[in-house]
Amino acid sequence: MIRVALPTGDLRGDAAALLDAAGAGIPDYAAGSRALRFPLADGGVARVFREKDIPVQVALGNYDLGICGLMWVEELTQRFPRHDVVRLRDLGFGATSLWLAAAADTCDASLRIVSEYGSIAVTVARRMRLPRYRVFPVLGAADAYPPEDADVVLVAAGDAAEVEAHGLRPLWRVLDSSAWLIGNRRSLAAKDLSGVLARLLAGVVPPAVRPGRDGAPSLSVPPALPLRPAAVRPRSVLRLALPDGHQQPDAVAVLDAAGIRVRGYDEGNIVRRPQIDVDGVEVKVIRPQDMAQQVALGQFDLAITGRDWLFDHLVRFPSSPVEQVVDLGRCRYGLAAIVRDVRADTVAGAVREWRARAPLASIRVASEYANIADHFARERHLGRYSVIPIAGASEGFVPDDAEILIEGIDTGSSVRANRLTVLERFFESTNCVIANRERPRGPLRAVFDALAARLQAGALAPAAARGA
Amino acid sequence: MSGLASTQLARGMRDLLPEEMARVRRVESAFSQTCRAWGYGEIRTPVIEPLHLFTAAGTLSPQTLDRVYSFLDWDGWSGERVVLRPDSTIAAARLYAERLDGGRIAKLFYSQPVLRFTDDGSSREEWQCGVELIGDTGRAGDVELVSLALEALAALALPDVQVRLSHAGIVRGVLAAAGLAPEEQSAAYDRLLDGDLAVADEVEARLPQLAAPLRLLFEIEGEGSGYIANLRAALAGAVPALAVPFDELAFVVESLEARGLAPRIAAVLARRFEYYSGIVMGFQSAGRRIGAGGRYDELIGLVGGTRVPASGFALFVPPLIDLIAAGPADAAPALTVEAASATPRAAAAAYEAARALRAAGIDVETIAPSAVRAGGRLRCADAPPRYVLERDGAAAAFERITDVVAALERAR
Repeated sequence: MIRVALPTGDLRGDAAALLDAAGAGIPDYAAGSRALRFPLADGGVARVFREKDIPVQVALGNYDLGICGLMWVEELTQRFPRHDVVRLRDLGFGATSLWLAAAADTCDASLRIVSEYGSIAVTVARRMRLPRYRVFPVLGAADAYPPEDADVVLVAAGDAAEVEAHGLRPLWRVLDSSAWLIGNRRSLAAKDLSGVLARLLAGVVPPAVRPGRDGAPSLSVPPALPLRPAAVRPRSVLRLALPDGHQQPDAVAVLDAAGIRVRGYDEGNIVRRPQIDVDGVEVKVIRPQDMAQQVALGQFDLAITGRDWLFDHLVRFPSSPVEQVVDLGRCRYGLAAIVRDVRADTVAGAVREWRARAPLASIRVASEYANIADHFARERHLGRYSVIPIAGASEGFVPDDAEILIEGIDTGSSVRANRLTVLERFFESTNCVIANRERPRGPLRAVFDALAARLQAGALAPAAARGA
Repeated sequence: MSGLASTQLARGMRDLLPEEMARVRRVESAFSQTCRAWGYGEIRTPVIEPLHLFTAAGTLSPQTLDRVYSFLDWDGWSGERVVLRPDSTIAAARLYAERLDGGRIAKLFYSQPVLRFTDDGSSREEWQCGVELIGDTGRAGDVELVSLALEALAALALPDVQVRLSHAGIVRGVLAAAGLAPEEQSAAYDRLLDGDLAVADEVEARLPQLAAPLRLLFEIEGEGSGYIANLRAALAGAVPALAVPFDELAFVVESLEARGLAPRIAAVLARRFEYYSGIVMGFQSAGRRIGAGGRYDELIGLVGGTRVPASGFALFVPPLIDLIAAGPADAAPALTVEAASATPRAAAAAYEAARALRAAGIDVETIAPSAVRAGGRLRCADAPPRYVLERDGAAAAFERITDVVAALERAR
């Protein structure tokens, strides 16, 4: 059976149009259906993924063909140069570029680079022969980090004007990207994909030549950056990080309960630097997944995130100086090991089942929480295993694309609806306030204590006291 | 599930069996005995080092940096990466800068692996026996290192050992004279190492007055001081910066020739190491590369120390263990000592007898690897007769064994 990975997000509309033009249209995919799996006309199956997961899935051989932005293929290439993804054809849509950009003209002695494209950022730093650098791989909001929390950002933008719209100065265009049709090397070598391939390639409109570039896109690295090292200056304000995404409504509720107003944070559009009505405090809105590292680095004094992401950070970096200072009690769910089509009702039993079938095969553990998944696999003695990091759209991952899914679950109703089995619910998460064990000194300490106390006041009472 | 494996050995790694390890130990032993006899002291550097030690310009080339194993350590929340040691000279330079930089000459040697990714099926872990001579030793230091390496190799009785010498300043001087920027020089140098003589054409196009002499440099492997004299006559007038490299190379070559050695001269030897600044050396046996090294006068300054001249070399253990003649097989133990019955006291008697025999200088085993025993057998019981000795003709030490057993009987 031919398996094709299709993108959700920005490329979805153009990918659906390409399928239509190829005579292989999937009306529900084109209409934005929440379903993730669609039959193909000639008996194959199409599965919808977040774009960054598609090269990984094709490299693993879970999918024969895929459509995604070239920059995500490049991100995989820089981390694993021997991967099994073959770039087949520029599909002529989804044009964008990766830019190095800065918000100031100074930098740390150890250059701080932030990006969703962490492996490309590492390669750029290495090829630039930077004597010292730190790469902060983040899951989003990279453009919000400079200048306070990073010196340079590697960010996707259509052109220089789009970079400037984020308040950044474009320094160098590192890569030109567009949507590409990619294939698994072994599938292309041994499997008859000709029907799907011929139709997809027939539907491609030849891409226009990008101005200023010719030939196949490849990484371009600047000879130097126009930044000069600056002395570290002490901060005069306390820095608070607030979460975007699904944790935002619960964070707003906490702030309301604490009597703290953050103008711009509770509105529809994301404002990265909203105004807080507490003297001596400034706020930045970033992804909750990225907060623990930023607090560990001392770039934020307090942050509201989830206990799940704090756990993910601490199992990766056990000596990190980050700790929970307030359990806010909201945004409650559990992390669970989820399987399908397994007779056993324990992880150990499931492992015995899989090992009986294939003693030396790798048990695939898929999760957004890559570090927790790795920790779980080690602690439960899975033996030979591989962690497949995913960016979302995890429904339907087991049993085809992984044996175990590590996922946040609430009541478990969607798990039951999808005929999945929770083998173990092993961690309870709520939202929380985190801080560096080394507290701010001087006048900022009083601001820190006062703000932490107000956030404590905004926390839900413990479950027992609520009678829950 | 995916990825059925035929082996659980990690890709690019190698197991060494007892007979291979015996060869490794012979190489290490010959090397370390030679180094100690020359007044060198052994060091060992950590397998994990900070990545930034290796990233500064002038240390490892970009091609080598693309192959290092770098990652975030368990406490790497700051974002700074660490690396599995990809090169021992830079690690030794760091050690010198931090621990030994007191103006004295440091004479160091080590036996340790370097780890670099390969995708051609070759080993990703390469054991090396290396020497670093740090301090202002002048040109005599280069002569010393070549001589030390040759003495260590002679101790291994390798076939057909050849020394090849070069000087990093010669090609760099030519490429700079051709107007290439430093990064273009590195790229051109690597292409030359890969046998791409089109570089010579490109340099010729920029320096037409040097066309014939460049062929002399790039296409001929010379055979001693005469070749250096020819190069000097052909090139030094047009590229004055080559005078010092030719002087330094000639000093080493003439010193070796005076001792009856015949080094060969090549334009380019060092592959993908930017830190070499002077004499570069390579060693071959039976056509295989078995070692390399050179002078790196700028490196210690680049890794945080004061600028100190230095040079070193490393011998590559994998080809050496292939090339050395098979040594004598490990002698089989003279005797197997066993408990006569499955009781704790009989087992204790057997292990006590084995200890006494070993203390008397007799190799014995208490678990025989097979039913076939090379020597005799001593069966030990917890009741008389306590010791029953079954003689085997191959047990040369039988008289001493009998004495030890008699002493054990008396002690009971």
